[in-house]
Formats: sequence, C-alpha cells, structure tokens
Amino acid sequence: MAHNFKSDVTVDWCPGCGDFGILTSITQALSELNLDPHNVVSVSGIGCSGKTPHYLNIGGIHTLHGRSIPFATGVKLSNPNLKVIVPGGDGDMLGIGAGHFVAEGRRNSGLTIIIFDNEVYGLTKGQAAPTMQLGEKTKGLSRANIFGKVNPIALALASGYSFVARGFSFDMKQLKEIIKTAILHEGSSVIDVLQPCPTYNNINTMDYYRKKVYKLEDDKSWDPVVTGESMDKAIEQFQKAYNKGLEWEERIPTGIFYDNRAIPSFTKRLNEFVPQYFKNPPSDQIVSGVDGFTPVDVVKTFADKTI
Amino acid sequence: MDLNLTLGGPQGGGIDTSSNMITRAFAAAGYNVFGVREYHSNIKGRHSYNHLRVKEERPRSLKYPVDILIALDPDTIFEHIEDVGEGTKIVYDKQFETSDLASARMIMRDTAKRIKETLQDEKLPLNIKGALQLMQKKGGSPIAVPFNEVVSSAISDGVPTRYFNTLGSAITLAIAGLPSEFGEESIRQVFSAKESVVAENIKVVKAAYEYCNNNKLAGKPIPKLPKKKRFLITGNDGSAIGKLMGGLRFQTYYPITPASDESSILEEHGAISFIENENRSLKDSGIVIVQTEDEISAVTMAQGAAITGARSSTATSGPGFSLMAEGISFAGMDEVPILITLYQRGGPSTGLPTRNGQSDLLFALNTGHGEFPRIVISSGDVEECIYDAMKGLNYAQRYQMPVLHLIDKNLANTSDLVPEIDSKRVKVSQVLATKDSESFRRYNLDTENGISNPGYLGKNIFWMTGDEHDELGHVTEDPDVRDRMMRKRFQKLKTVEDEVPMNDRAVLYGPSDAEITFVTWGSQKGVILDVMEDLKAKKISANLLYIKMFEPFPSEFVSKILKKAKLVIDVESNMLAQAARVIRTNTGINIEKSILKYNGRHITEDELLESAMNIYNNRKEEKLEEVLENGA
Ligand SMILES: Cc1ncc(C[n+]2csc(CCOP(=O)(O)OP(=O)(O)O)c2C)c(N)n1
Ligand code: SF4
Ligand SMILES: [Mg+2]
Repeated sequence: MAHNFKSDVTVDWCPGCGDFGILTSITQALSELNLDPHNVVSVSGIGCSGKTPHYLNIGGIHTLHGRSIPFATGVKLSNPNLKVIVPGGDGDMLGIGAGHFVAEGRRNSGLTIIIFDNEVYGLTKGQAAPTMQLGEKTKGLSRANIFGKVNPIALALASGYSFVARGFSFDMKQLKEIIKTAILHEGSSVIDVLQPCPTYNNINTMDYYRKKVYKLEDDKSWDPVVTGESMDKAIEQFQKAYNKGLEWEERIPTGIFYDNRAIPSFTKRLNEFVPQYFKNPPSDQIVSGVDGFTPVDVVKTFADKTI
Repeated sequence: MDLNLTLGGPQGGGIDTSSNMITRAFAAAGYNVFGVREYHSNIKGRHSYNHLRVKEERPRSLKYPVDILIALDPDTIFEHIEDVGEGTKIVYDKQFETSDLASARMIMRDTAKRIKETLQDEKLPLNIKGALQLMQKKGGSPIAVPFNEVVSSAISDGVPTRYFNTLGSAITLAIAGLPSEFGEESIRQVFSAKESVVAENIKVVKAAYEYCNNNKLAGKPIPKLPKKKRFLITGNDGSAIGKLMGGLRFQTYYPITPASDESSILEEHGAISFIENENRSLKDSGIVIVQTEDEISAVTMAQGAAITGARSSTATSGPGFSLMAEGISFAGMDEVPILITLYQRGGPSTGLPTRNGQSDLLFALNTGHGEFPRIVISSGDVEECIYDAMKGLNYAQRYQMPVLHLIDKNLANTSDLVPEIDSKRVKVSQVLATKDSESFRRYNLDTENGISNPGYLGKNIFWMTGDEHDELGHVTEDPDVRDRMMRKRFQKLKTVEDEVPMNDRAVLYGPSDAEITFVTWGSQKGVILDVMEDLKAKKISANLLYIKMFEPFPSEFVSKILKKAKLVIDVESNMLAQAARVIRTNTGINIEKSILKYNGRHITEDELLESAMNIYNNRKEEKLEEVLENGA
C-alpha cells in the first residue's frame, strides 16, 4: 500500500492560509516520487510554517527559530543518503536565520529549502518580515514598514545556491513539480513560495498574486539548467536568472530560475577525503569494537604524537 | 632533578619549536617534562613564553623562581624580572644589552609602566642592563651569549637569526647538563621532514655545546634514564584522542582560542587506524568535521547529526558557548545526545582570549532557558581529558542529554608526557536505534529510569519539537503530559547517579584524615597534589577533594568529607569561588577559606604553598581569601 505522507495531526493554520497549498504540494511530490518514508525527513524552524513537519508523515524536527538550516545540514551530512526538506518562514530563513541561509548556499549540502514567503511574521501576529516592501502597511502593522526588503531569489543566487525557484501556494500543480525537481537535485535548492497570509497581510493576497504571476517555463526558450559545459553560457544563465529575480512590480515570474548541476554538492566534496562516506556514513557506523572497547589503534592513529 | 625553565620570545618567533626541542631532548634521555604555553592574542611580535618543568618522575605543576630563563628577545628579560631568584641563569643575546625599555614597543603599555616603576623604585636604568641588575639583586646570574657569532661559526650561509631558537634551546640543554646527542636527536625529531634543515640545525647545536664548554657554562652531566615510549600530548590532543577512541563521527566548530586546536587535530587524524582484529568495514570509515558559520550553527548542526545516530560533538570557548545557549536548551528538551567541550578562558566578554580562566562553571550549569537535565564534567589533567571525552560521548547517548565537558585553557595548552593510553579503561557503549515499529514512541513515558526508546531519523520515524511534546514527539500543551514529561526527563539524572561510579564524580586524594582539606576542580589538581607533598615535608597532612562531575552533583560524598574536615581551602581560577558556591547550593556547607587566581596565569607551586601556609597559620580566622598573582 502506498504510504500516506500526510500525518493525522490536526492542522491548525487559519482558514484560507497559503500554507495548506504548500503542505499539499509537498505530500503530493513525495507520493509521486514514491520515496521510502524512512529516507526523507523534514526539518523546520519556528513560525506558522514551522509546524509543517508535524503534518507530514515522515520523520521531522521542528527546531528553533532560524536554525532549521544548520540542524538539517547536520542530518544531511551525517546521513547523506537521506532527502532533507526544510520548510520555513521568511522571517525564520531570511531574518533571524539569514547567516545560515547564506552559509548553506556556499555549502550546497543537498537540502530542499522551501520559504513560506508571506511577508509577515505570522505566528507573532503580523510584524513585518524581511521580505516586506518598504512603505507597505499591512493590517497587522500600526505604521508603514520602514525597512527595505530582501529579495530571496537574488540572495539565494548570490549565496551560491545551485537551484533557485519560485512557486505560488495557490498553484499546487506547478509547485509540486518544482518541489519534485528540487528534491531530486543533488545540491541545495531554494524555493521561494508566495504564500498569502489572509490574517495579517491584506496586501499580498491570493488575488494580488493571481493577477501578477506568470510562469517562466511558458517561454519555450527559458533554459535554467546549467551543465557546466560552457563557462560563458553558465555565466549568462546566472545573469538571466538574477535579472528575472529582480522582476516584481508589474509581473512576478514563477518557476525554475536556475538549476546548476555542475556545482559539486558538499557531500561529494566530503567524499573526497572521508573514506566510504556514502557507503558507511557517520550515522551508520558501528564505533565500538567486538569486545565493547574502542577499535581505534591509538598508537598508529596518533603516531606523530608518540616519542 | 627538578628543573624549571622559561623560554621567551616574540610570538611567531619559533618559541614553540624550541620548547618542543627541549622537551623531546629531555624525553629522549628518559626524563619527564611538563610544559605550558603563554601567549598574547596576537600573531606576530608580542611576548610569548613556554614554561617547562623537568623531573625524573612526572611533574604536575610549575614553580618559581625558574632555574633557567632563555631570552630570545629583550622583551623577555623585562617581562620576566619577577620570575628570577637565587641561582637563576639568564641566557640572552649579548646584543640585547643596548636595548632600553622605551623601545620595547611590543610590551603592553601597562606592563611596561609597571616594569618602569619597578626599575625606578630600585633606582636602576630603564634598560636591559637595569633589568639584569635587578635580576642579579634577586640572585640571578646573567649569561650573555653572542648569538650571531656562535651561529655564524657553524652556518656559513643563510640568515643567522633563523637559528637563534635552536641555539637558545641547545644552550639550555648544555647548561642543564644534558649530553649533546639528545639535543641532536631532538633536532631530528622536530625537523624530521627536511634532511638539510636537520643538518644545519645540528651544526648549531654542536656550536652551542662547544661555546658552553669553552666558557664553562655547561652543567654537570645528568644521568641518562631508561628510555620509554610515551605520548607527547596537550589537553587539546587528549580531548581529540578521547573523542576518536570514543567513536566520535561528527564534529562541528567555529574557530576560537583555545578550542579550535582540538578540531584541527581531529581533522589531521581523521583517517583512523583500527586494531587488526576488528572487522573489515571499520577499516575504511571516517569522521566528518565541519567548520560552521557560527557557534549557533555548530551546536545545532552537531545535533542534527546526533539525531541520525552519529556520535556527535562540538568544541568552543566562552563567547561561542554563550551563543549556544538556546541550542543546548533544545538538546535538553528533545533529549539529543551531544557532547559539548567547553574550553574555558578568561572572561567576561572577549576577556583574556588566550589566558586561563575557570569562570564559566556557573554558566555551564545554567546555560539555556528553562529547566532541563544535563551532565557537566570537568577534567584536571591531560589523561583525564582523554577518558572524560570518551565517557562524555557514552553519557550523551546513554542518558540522551547534553553533556558539557569543561577543560580550562591551562590544561588545553599543557603538554605532558603520557606513558600509556589505555584502550580498555572505558568501554564504548554505543546505543543503537530501537527496532522500528508503527507509531514508534521516541519519548515513551512508561520508563522507570527516565530513558525513552533510543531512535534515529533514517531508522525510525518520529517527530521532535522544542515545544513540549507527547510520546510521538508532536506538540502538546496538555498539563498532565507536561508534568509527566518534565519528571521523565529529570528522572534521568537520578539514573546517572545510580549508574556512574563515584570515582568519576569526585575523588579524595591523600589521607582521609588531614589537617588541611583542599577543594578544587580542573587544572589546579596537579599543583595541589605537589603542594600536598611540600606540606607533608613540613609535617602538615593535607588531602584534596577533587570534583569531576558538577551535574548531577555528588552531594553526599562531598558533604561527608567536608563535614569532618578540619580546615577547608577552596582553590579556583576565578574571582567568585564558583565551585564553592555550587557546593553551598548542594550541601549547605560554606567554605570560608579560599585561594583564588584570576589574572589568567597558572597557579604555581611556590605561590600556592605560601598562601596555603598563610591560611594554615591564621586558621583561627573565620574568613580568609588569598589572591594569587604569579605569571608574566
Ligand atoms: C529566538 C526566538 N526569538 C523569537 C521567537 C518568537 N517567534 C516565533 S515565530 C516568529 C516569527 C515567525 O515568522 P516567520 O518565520 O516568517 O514564520 P511564519 O509564522 O510567518 O510562517 C517569532 C519571531 C522565537 N520563537 N525564538
Ligand atoms: S497567521 Fe497567517 S501564516 Fe499564520 S496560519 Fe494564519 S494565515 Fe497562515
Ligand atoms: Mg512569515
């Protein structure tokens, strides 16, 4: 019988919240990829979005605000054979956790990072998130936002993520496909998901986005896949992705901006000097000897310290 | 033999290499060497020194005045005026005699001011000559060596200054009476990689000995002792070795003194050799070490790995440890097996980044919000670092909680000759995943000892959350489950008390009945044991209550000893006598006499003995506090 990737825990998001669409897209992607539920885990931070792991019927860690990426990286690097999905809020990822977000781009461990981009701090009652436009006044705010916004696509690209995409929580068909591609992507991926928060954000609503979004893949000449064969082409693709990432005012592109398959994943880099890394990763190693004592030959291992 | 020597020079000027050479030379002749390293938070130029103590038996501490002071720069002479006494030989480059204090720009301004005042008080000129005169007054004898001439007599081309540290070491060895062959042997060990370098340095060693012989500086030859195989390791090495032996497979770190050396050592030795008869698969397996973006990442990434089943750890010191607080709280709440090695240095804030401190004990006992169980252990010598790291990894997995292992900077940078590393002293009791089942209860409440089913992501399906949770790991705010979960988690501390032998928690050294009972933890252990011998020679009996585990605290054991003790003296490297506070909290016993040091330097045998005697002689007083000040 096929595994049901939706857990039986009651979902307590507000009615009409964009989070539901993301959850459904994730469960459908997992079902369609037919993954063994033991081989995929989800790791989140704190926020409305942070509750997602409990709603998924796979192992999950609901960690600390902003720290999902390092927890998830630990899981992935200790057991590189696991698929690791990292759902989290825009505040979680790009505010308090921004340092980890940038660092993970440089690592490229192989995480599937899904940003629930609602431009607000949902769970703490609607304060401005780092993705909110300067001067925007949503209903949860007592005065207009006096911060500028960070562009998740541009930041992800600049940080070195090898897969960067945007979805819309009310277009589950497209989002599910993006998530599937991202999970199969070897390096780390970022999917910025436009996620209306009807409770606190009365500006970036479902209708607001419906009118603006268009799909990159509708342009048949759009080619985000970098194979690494031509350096010049790779640079051009990066620049195109970056420029597309800046589009926002009139129309908002969704789909895959950048899919670089040439950058080696962090696990591949580790495999260069950690023996049998994929076959016998840290998570699976037996570390006690047959007699229960250490199997390590201290004199040989630390020969340079003996005199 | 009991030889104390200090070798000083500019940071980056090869002081460590010289001291390594001296250590190896004495070791080759069968002697034991105990050494410490003092340095500024600076890469090049500022004063650094190594203090070594050589004995037939194993030294455990340092002592002033030193017997030999080797100055590779003028600053060393100024900085160490106070370390000199009757019989100290001060070896320096004749050229330094023209230097004055005002031009010694790398001496910290306040230190220079203090030295200036000392010289002025004695009406001495503010230059090397003045400093040497003061040293002579104290009983020291200056030995000016024309460094350039001696080196040039041996080396025809190349920059002579490059060999000054070899020269300094060789002169020291000659003065100490160690035959030249051992100096040469140590050169071979230190510069093993390069034959030509070895040859040139050996020429310098020979020239140094010749110079000493011609100038009647060479000491009376000391006997050669039977040579034994030993490990030359520091506290940093010890912890790394223990972690590798204990099955560590994942280590994270963000660079910080004095913790990051441990991670570098692990990285250098990541290709583990296994004992022959172990099965094949072990032969090719490795350890993952990750330099993270910060310590928040370090403590959380290590937990991610632990949650998949790897034995996992991180190492840091004060500033980084502060950043880990929230992560440690998560590990307590979610019962994540993780070992955190906390290298203590002088705080608060950046404090004395390269100097000693023991001021993080109370913080380690209270890091992180909320109430959760943790184990806090501490090591007092290089060997303890090894076995405590192994035990720490065991405790973390067995009791499913954060284990904090405290090592102070003095210990981290102490180098010691360890005769043996015993693979059979501590078992590696790896905890494997529970066989997976539907509705696996990672946090099952039906456990008497508080320990729930071990489970690892990838092998079991379960959830975790920093929120209070139910048995499956899902969020709950139910008051009854909350109560039961709190009690379940804390029950594990009782289990620790039931299972961990008292020897691993607190030890009484010396006679059970004594006139003085010292209380300490960490790196003061060695110096107190030495002072106990000194007191014995003065017909004063002393013992030492040495604490190794602060949480759960061995209250009964400590209480029993302190209740019958006659004169209790608490010795710590902090200002607030933190361990004494912990003892008061846990036993209600106040320790009224203390010897404290917080200038960031080692407690030396002489100063501790003096202060202990002061307290002993005034023991009728209700409260006494001595503050120690030795050290440049
Ligand atoms: C260290 C810390 N600071 C503050 C909080 C309080 N907090 C909980 S959720 C949240 C913001 C959540 O916003 P976002 O990440 O955008 O997630 P959303 O609720 O919008 O999905 C904050 C600040 C916390 N849990 N931890
Ligand atoms: S507050 Fe906003 S983001 Fe949170 S559940 Fe409600 S609608 Fe969704
Ligand atoms: Mg948000």
